[in-house]
Amino acid sequence: MLEIKNLHVKLADENREILKGLSLTVKPGEVHAIMGPNGSGKSTLSYVLAGREGYEVTEGSVTYNGKDVLAMAPHERAALGLFLAFQYPIEIPGVQTMQFLKVALNAQRKARGEKELSIPEFLRFVKERAAKLNISQDMLKRPVNVGFSGGEKKRAEILQMAVLEPSLCILDETDSGLDIDALKVVAEGVNALRSPERAIIVITHYQRLLDHIVPDVVHVLSAGRIVKTGGKELALELEKNGYADYAEKAA
Amino acid sequence: MSTALQLTSAEQALGISLPNRRMEDWRWTDLRARITKPYAHIKVEATTKDVERLLASSPFAKATKARVVFVNGMLDEKHSKLNGLEIAHNVAPALLNDPHDPLIEMNLKLGAKGVALKFTGQAEQLVEVIHIATAGNARAMAMHNSIEVADGASASIIETYIGDGDYVLNTVTSISLGKGAHLDRLKLQNDSAASTHLSHVIYDLSENARLNDVTVTVGTNLTRQNGTCNFLGQNAEAKISGAYLLKGKQHADTCLTINHLVPHCTSRELFKCVMDDNARGIFQGKVVVAKHAQKTDGKQSSRALLLSESAEFDAKPELEIFADDVVCGHGATAGDLNHDHLFYLKSRGIPEAEAKSLLIAAFVGEAFDLVANDDCREALAAIAEQWVVGK
Repeated sequence: MLEIKNLHVKLADENREILKGLSLTVKPGEVHAIMGPNGSGKSTLSYVLAGREGYEVTEGSVTYNGKDVLAMAPHERAALGLFLAFQYPIEIPGVQTMQFLKVALNAQRKARGEKELSIPEFLRFVKERAAKLNISQDMLKRPVNVGFSGGEKKRAEILQMAVLEPSLCILDETDSGLDIDALKVVAEGVNALRSPERAIIVITHYQRLLDHIVPDVVHVLSAGRIVKTGGKELALELEKNGYADYAEKAA
Repeated sequence: MSTALQLTSAEQALGISLPNRRMEDWRWTDLRARITKPYAHIKVEATTKDVERLLASSPFAKATKARVVFVNGMLDEKHSKLNGLEIAHNVAPALLNDPHDPLIEMNLKLGAKGVALKFTGQAEQLVEVIHIATAGNARAMAMHNSIEVADGASASIIETYIGDGDYVLNTVTSISLGKGAHLDRLKLQNDSAASTHLSHVIYDLSENARLNDVTVTVGTNLTRQNGTCNFLGQNAEAKISGAYLLKGKQHADTCLTINHLVPHCTSRELFKCVMDDNARGIFQGKVVVAKHAQKTDGKQSSRALLLSESAEFDAKPELEIFADDVVCGHGATAGDLNHDHLFYLKSRGIPEAEAKSLLIAAFVGEAFDLVANDDCREALAAIAEQWVVGK
């Protein structure tokens, strides 16, 4: 499904390489965790996959279901089924959350040659999903993420994911800034989306989110490369011993 | 030696000298240099077909129950629909005797006529005062209407300007709000692409009066809008918003003065200006607080969104405060679309053009928040959307 081969990425305006030959294969139905210390390249990986400006791919390839992701604009990647839940969701004043969801869903459906949902269909569709995530009607009426608490923002990201139904979900430090109750709600939301057709990549610094979203595969990212891959027990080991071993190895 | 400039042919045709860039308030909008054709004050006959077509193009045609129609500067009783509204000929130019305002001088010189609208009850219907300019010889036209909302009364008025052809329109609106009166006013300036729109609005607010005023500027080649808001009674409140949607070589300049003459009044100004191509937007806002006008709360803000490298925005916020116990502030910003906002929308599958249009509409939309009527607010949102699509 997702195939990253020997990916080298540098910041466009600095001559600093962040990813230094990263390779990763994700198959449908799998949940992968990518763990690593600060500065290892976790967020860069998520932004490069989503197509954010400011990064330059100098080598390697990313394909999704055989298609060259790096050649696509961000909205095309989204229509293809890629979704990034942001570590820091952006506040957009003046754009109502409900309107945003509708425009986004219909744009994706249109890009895939599907019929746009009618307004009543759409409202029902969103309300069902919002209720499961404890998202009130009031929140849906407010501008996107404006005035939302940290937890509300993360829940809103998961709601977008539930509405857009991507086939690959990338969660970038979704656990940061969440208390344990909010973490559970978010994890339940993510788990509800687990299916044999859908893959999930959980990018995190800490193991605690992985107690709730149990991964099939755990990777350790250090200095721009995946330095170790294992089962879910690898996350526990990291929690106990820290990243020090891997930092040395990478150096 | 005389310092007076020799009159240009345009000035001779209008019979006055036009303001020029040597005058502080006119430094960005040099009418003397910009109005070069001799626009004479001539009468242009309109065909019913043209009038009806232009009237139907008002985005508020459905929302309004009563309509006062002006065609080429003259009241058109045939097309007006008063629906119980009482109108009289406006005979109050005396209050306009401000020799220092060149737009008012021009208005008087052009023999402006208009109606006096008086509201004594509660706003039961949306009233549209619409000016239509039909295609015809290049000419100058003027209009002067007055709106009075009596003590305790309320009204909701839309002023719409729509037109074809090449003309200079000078329009003055005198507004007076009695004690506890409430007025919602919306002005849509969508004059023809070749035209010049010059306007002056004067608001006099008595005790406890409330004003919500929104001006949307989309049309013309050249726009200058002056405003003077006088607080004459305590505890009055004025909220004045504006939106510009400018492209090509359009030029729009708003010059607004808020006079806090008495204590305990509140003024809010918010201008959201979008400029594309070589368009230029200007906002000059002055808040004057008289010595005895303690506890004044006055804030103004102008924010510009520049969609091209060659678009320009100039802001001149001024505070003149003679009282010592007030809360006043101003702010002005200019920038392009926020790249993080754009990326976020695109990452959710929204194509670039659509993402931009959402953000532009959201930006100007803040100025429409004051519009209480849902249909009108939606009509304005649709205008913003069309503007973006038509770019």
